[in-house]
Amino acid sequence: MASLRGLSRPARSLPLSQLSRQTYTAGSIRCASSQAAEAAAPALNDLEQSTLTAPQLSPEEKKEFRPWKRGADRKFQLPGSRYQYHPPKYERGPLHPIQSPPSSDPIARDFVPGPFNLPRLKQTYHSTIAPDIMTLTYMHVPPGTPPKPAPERLRAWDGSSPYHKNRPLRGPMGNSVLPLMERHINFRNIPEIKEVTLASYVPEAIKDPDHLLVARSVLLALTGTTPEITHTKSNVVQWGIKAGEKAGVKTTIYGNAAYEFLDRCVHLVFPRIKDWKGIRATTGDDSGNLSWGFTPEEIKLFPEVEVNYWLYPAKMLPGCRVYVKTSATSDRQARLLLQAFGVPFYGPVRD
Amino acid sequence: MGKLPSTILRRPSLAGTGSYLSSTTSTSHNASHTILPSPSQCATPSITTRPHGQVQVRHATFVPRPRRPYEFTQLVQLSDGSTFTVRTTSPLALYKSAKDSRNHILWQPSEKSLKNVEVDEAGKLAAFRERYGNAWDLGAPSSGSAAATAAKPDEAAAAAKAAAAPGAADKKAAGQEKTAEEAKPTATQASAPTEAAPAAPEDQFDSLVDLISAYATEDKNVKGGLSAKDQAKKDKSGKKK
Repeated sequence: MASLRGLSRPARSLPLSQLSRQTYTAGSIRCASSQAAEAAAPALNDLEQSTLTAPQLSPEEKKEFRPWKRGADRKFQLPGSRYQYHPPKYERGPLHPIQSPPSSDPIARDFVPGPFNLPRLKQTYHSTIAPDIMTLTYMHVPPGTPPKPAPERLRAWDGSSPYHKNRPLRGPMGNSVLPLMERHINFRNIPEIKEVTLASYVPEAIKDPDHLLVARSVLLALTGTTPEITHTKSNVVQWGIKAGEKAGVKTTIYGNAAYEFLDRCVHLVFPRIKDWKGIRATTGDDSGNLSWGFTPEEIKLFPEVEVNYWLYPAKMLPGCRVYVKTSATSDRQARLLLQAFGVPFYGPVRD
Repeated sequence: MGKLPSTILRRPSLAGTGSYLSSTTSTSHNASHTILPSPSQCATPSITTRPHGQVQVRHATFVPRPRRPYEFTQLVQLSDGSTFTVRTTSPLALYKSAKDSRNHILWQPSEKSLKNVEVDEAGKLAAFRERYGNAWDLGAPSSGSAAATAAKPDEAAAAAKAAAAPGAADKKAAGQEKTAEEAKPTATQASAPTEAAPAAPEDQFDSLVDLISAYATEDKNVKGGLSAKDQAKKDKSGKKK
């Protein structure tokens, strides 16, 4: 090895072009490409000159190299720093010459980095749950079956009066809103988690606003987003609330954060609740959004709250409600999805 | 653990009412329909009519910087040893959970070790129940024949005596200890008198309890007791049956 290195050292001092030329002369193979390289060699010569091959500086030259002296002798200031682009603080419209960069650009003001991991619940959803739900809810329709006519949900006018002409249809009896119709599950319509909203109503905050601060920091710890403050909607004298007072916080998480929050609920928090039977199966708003609640005792089972539980005044710890919004349009489909995620339900179902 | 700068919040009374949540706000110009409360931030070329007839003009829309706490990547280890990473505000690098869905009966219904089986080898719980009944226990099973026998533990014990150990019934002196020994967990009390016929166990997971009850009823040799060797032999034969 040492001999090899000894051999190569004198060879290293030679320019590369010479080296290559030597090898080619040593070998008996001639090809057009090597000849081309040879022809181009003078042009590439300055590229192949590296600082390693340059002669070392003499002591006099070293003494002469004094950048600090140059800096001290300089009569003018160098520019402070390099030019850096800052995106505008205000949007001024699409026709303004100054435009904000897109939010995906790291220098944009509203840039949020990530994602940093693939939540395992999301991974399970895409690899297992979604195909399973699609397969298990498959209903075969023989080809050629005429499509079922959609039921008329809005009432028509009977035409007894000439003024009925061109009137819009009437709403359903007894209900001012049309309930959603359940969509069949197919490969384009598999229920999924859209968002998770956490809301905490803290009426004590009317008397003592510090309750809001605790509720905010709890929700912030749980979700990793800054919650917004909600206000009371109505006046109730007995409860001591007036409309428009700050009495609660809420926040909504989407995407990966929502999946991770659900994962944490199902696998870490629910099992640690004492004598917990599951979520009541009657939950839901008939349009595929399920919800449940956590009491203050259950809130402190969350790892994020538990880790610095001393941070929160124990008496001020709020409860919170969790609303899971799914893309399902009926409660039973949403329940199917959450059951696949591992949420246990108990009691009678209501569809 | 010091306070993290990102988790320090403003007091809510001082905080602005506007949400700084809009991390998803894109730079598209759809802000024309929103009304910002403070006039300093307000206004687009679009014109919004207010209820009082004032006209709001917005020349610029504030682009808020998202305010979010620091998020750590945490390794979570479940009780069965499986691990996964999560993004969380908790600064622990590794979270080991003692109780989670992997060792909870609700999620693992077929796991026998998680069942709430009463282990009563010494018969103390049964003795207590025999003496005081279980009317105080609201959660106790009180249905069907089990309830009937549970209501009258003395009768049940007497019946068990009569069926299994006819000689033992007249031994009044040994009666106290005997009943204590013979009494079984409530679940198997109904099946005990008819133990000579192989009664179907009400709960497949109560095999241990069944074994104990068999041991208690069969034991005729109250006074002398058995040596360890004889006891083992007897247990073996009892199992074969």
